[in-house]
Amino acid sequence: MTSVRIFFIGGLMSYRAMFNWLSPWILIPSLVVSPICQILLFAYIGRSAGVGNDEFYVIGNALNYAAIPCLFAMGATIGGEREGHTLGIVLATPARRIPLFLGRALPVIANGWGVAMVGVLAGVLLLDVHIPGSAWPAILLAVVVASASCTGLGLAMGAVALRVRESAVLGNVVFCLLLVFCGVNVALDDLPAWMAAVGTWLPLTHGIEAARLLADGSGLGAVDGLLLREIGVGLIYTVVGLALLRFFEDESRRSASLDRN
Amino acid sequence: MNSDLAVEAVGLERSFVTHTGVLRRSRKEVEAVKGVSFHLERGELFGLLGPNGAGKTTTIKMLITLLLPTAGTARVLGYDVVDDVREVRRRIGYVFGGDRGLYERLSARDNLRYFSELYGVDPRRQKARIEELVELVGLTGREHERVEGFSRGMRQRLHIARGLLHDPDVLFLDEPSIGIDPVGARELRATIGSLVDVGKTVLLTTHYMFEADELCDRIAVIRSGEIVAEGTPQDLKRLVTAGRVLEIETYGVAPDAVAAATGVPGVQGVVVEERGQQQVLIVQFEAGAEVTQTVLASLGDVHVGRVSAREPTLEDAYIQLVTQDVPG
Repeated sequence: MTSVRIFFIGGLMSYRAMFNWLSPWILIPSLVVSPICQILLFAYIGRSAGVGNDEFYVIGNALNYAAIPCLFAMGATIGGEREGHTLGIVLATPARRIPLFLGRALPVIANGWGVAMVGVLAGVLLLDVHIPGSAWPAILLAVVVASASCTGLGLAMGAVALRVRESAVLGNVVFCLLLVFCGVNVALDDLPAWMAAVGTWLPLTHGIEAARLLADGSGLGAVDGLLLREIGVGLIYTVVGLALLRFFEDESRRSASLDRN
Repeated sequence: MNSDLAVEAVGLERSFVTHTGVLRRSRKEVEAVKGVSFHLERGELFGLLGPNGAGKTTTIKMLITLLLPTAGTARVLGYDVVDDVREVRRRIGYVFGGDRGLYERLSARDNLRYFSELYGVDPRRQKARIEELVELVGLTGREHERVEGFSRGMRQRLHIARGLLHDPDVLFLDEPSIGIDPVGARELRATIGSLVDVGKTVLLTTHYMFEADELCDRIAVIRSGEIVAEGTPQDLKRLVTAGRVLEIETYGVAPDAVAAATGVPGVQGVVVEERGQQQVLIVQFEAGAEVTQTVLASLGDVHVGRVSAREPTLEDAYIQLVTQDVPG
């Protein structure tokens, strides 16, 4: 019971405590205005270059922007504890670590989902994108899967924050990697083979592809393989993240790394 | 090891390895704690005193399971701090001083709610427990406010409430009164004192001697990672009560003059305390010795202000212990 409460209630409270974008003055520019700008930028570059269509860029960039909360909020919920000197107090509690840290992922997934859906809706309203009404439930699901998968990567990044302080810098680099390697603006088929191969091991890649197919009218059955692969990639990063958390916590006891830069 | 004891440390050691440089990396090993042994009886308020860098916080971090000892053993309520980590964590509270360590954007109540969850406080008891603690630490009426608006004293009291949420048997307080104004510090001392009244065992580190004198049943003085004295406040005072203390206000006293005063027959030790423009020489001397004139003469041309003699305090004992050899 304690672990269940830590997972749900503790996770939500920790998210409220640590994620400093919850102020509307930061949240709206960061998670609403910025993704719309990115969508518009790439859609108009595509139009002027005569490459792709608006839907391709809207879905790619909207899902890519889910990575901002998924990576940064997840990193902040662990790295921010270190900055605020609460990490030692949290680690001195008997709370089980898996619900403690995984619980923090739930609100982050919801946040990432929300950001991506705002981007998709803005694209539909502002650009030449027509998504059939029947496709929306499956698209909502694909975006949830992609956000969850990306949050797995965010958890691994957050674990690294137990050892190094510069998790925000790492987040910027990872965001760029996702932008380039996940088929956000250039389809995987058009990327060099090695880049496409890297992309298949990153979160978002399969989710974006699935969402595009769904928006084009494919049924859920046609993309279930892609969604399962997206879930699998996310699970790998989640397991790596939890293992890293365990390793770095043990390491902090051995080498006092929490007290060092 | 005696499981009847609240805390028992035997030969605790902790060293840290640091590296400097990028291309030519040099490795340096620092011994922060060198074979510390002490114990706390159940229900005791034990003080660990020492200057900055003496090893107090490192010792506490080993006892609360955040650091592994390099050597030696420690048990809390009979549980080993290395092997029985969760059992230890369930039974201890940890509070440190300073502004940090709270969730600024959450209210005081939500801070306490969050840690209630982490400590597994029964959800049916949670609300009442939080109200009880908010009242104990004098934050009633402010508990719904965000912590970012709290004064340092209020934060410190909230830290104590957090440390008590799960009703721990042993509480580690690491310089809890640091930076708090006198009124807040007095309230905090009253709160700490009341913990022992309800059966808690407390290990307190502090820089304030009067605080240790007022609160602690026993004190250990730690210097450069080693315990140099242990006993009741009275025991420690007795280390210097074989003599008396002369305070001499000076202006611009030079180190050679201090050395000359130290060499006066009957003088046990001289410590210089900076007080604004003044340097106050605290001269400890043997009982019965008449050293005043000789010490003043040894200072030469140094401008001297007020001169007074008094009985030694715990602070004198502490200064003597952390700056020079303990008298036999």
